[in-house]
Amino acid sequence: MNEPKNEFYNVYEVFSKKTDKSPFQHSFSLLAPNADMALIMAKENFFRREQVADIWVVKRENIRGLNQDEKEMLKRLDKEYRETKGYGYLKKKWRDYNQEQFTEQHILGGRGDNK
Amino acid sequence: MTVGLSFSQLSEEEKMQHFLDRINAGEKIEPDDWMPDDYRMQLIRLISMHGISEIMGALPEKEWVPKAPSLHRKLAIMAKVQDEMGHGQLLLRVAEDLMAPLGKTRHDIMEDLFSGKLKFHNVFHMDAPTWGDAGIIAWLVDGAAIISQSMMLDSSYGPYARALKRICAEEVFHAQHGESIILAMAEGTPEQRQMLQDALNRWWESLIMFFGPKSAKETGNSNADKNIMYKIRTKTNEDLRQEFFTKYIPRIWSLGLTIPDETIHFDEETQMWIYKDADWSNFKQIVSGNGPQSQNRLDLRRRSYKNNEWVREALAAKKAI
Repeated sequence: MNEPKNEFYNVYEVFSKKTDKSPFQHSFSLLAPNADMALIMAKENFFRREQVADIWVVKRENIRGLNQDEKEMLKRLDKEYRETKGYGYLKKKWRDYNQEQFTEQHILGGRGDNK
Repeated sequence: MTVGLSFSQLSEEEKMQHFLDRINAGEKIEPDDWMPDDYRMQLIRLISMHGISEIMGALPEKEWVPKAPSLHRKLAIMAKVQDEMGHGQLLLRVAEDLMAPLGKTRHDIMEDLFSGKLKFHNVFHMDAPTWGDAGIIAWLVDGAAIISQSMMLDSSYGPYARALKRICAEEVFHAQHGESIILAMAEGTPEQRQMLQDALNRWWESLIMFFGPKSAKETGNSNADKNIMYKIRTKTNEDLRQEFFTKYIPRIWSLGLTIPDETIHFDEETQMWIYKDADWSNFKQIVSGNGPQSQNRLDLRRRSYKNNEWVREALAAKKAI
């Protein structure tokens, strides 16, 4: 059997952006013997109809993703102190001083429009 | 929250419980995640069969590309054939990632198809002798496929759900392509109407079979129940068949076509369609490779796989430089 069973095809991950302004998104994966064929296959498989502004093909073996241990770890992280929802209690505190809490807009606006 | 033990340190039972908790919470399982062997095997069976059915399913319609009645019809049916092949590519990719830990590749899928080990949908073993058949396939066979595929859009296996999302978007075109063909025939000459009626008569039993038997007792198989437990699918074969009837029977009748089953009617009391069941021993024969077109279409695939071998070799050689 001369079919090069495990060497011929490589898995390529396909990323694409719809318009100039949009970010790249993962489209799907495909099998191809090289990057040029992967691009042809990507156009053929995923963009017969869909609008597309650019395409990337990346050999899967060059991607380091998270394993399950690492993904499970993410679920345990408490990041509220980095987000506004971790500071929701401030609203009630300020009310005790007869003050409204600044909204995000107020804070970014520099001068608090504190009526 | 238990801190300390990382996922890989859990026992097999704890991993199983963790897996079930995840799918019950609506999380998606990804290829590199831990999954029970049984889940993996169910997915491989389902998705490789689905993928190869898309590829074999393009063949009865492909026969109509050179014979389509106008240039517009030729372009439209060619686009559909292309889509079906594309769907096959998507699904086989999903199946291959699941098979990788077993040391299997696309080559094994093709070999299993050629040897008859890997089955494909009953409908694609059948003849499509007229343009009416091309219309019925696109309207009702694709209509049936849309019902079963859209049920799995929220499947617990992430890559399958994502592939189906892409597929279902294109199926909308297929359904309208089918409606366009059958409406033109239904509004055509008496000969054209007759051609459409004959095609419906030919396809009706295959459409009943498409969703599979009501229960394990018809074919001794209970994969559907398992797949519901694993949240790969959400409805039974019979649920889907009833949905198909409710969606399409009023339309078939509205065109003045006759369904080749005098007993079919909607029972108000049970809120179910009563119909003549298919001959499930015949179904087993068909999907085992003994349908009218089974061997012809398999031969076509075998030949093209063999004829294109030199292309794969040429590209592989380039890689070695």
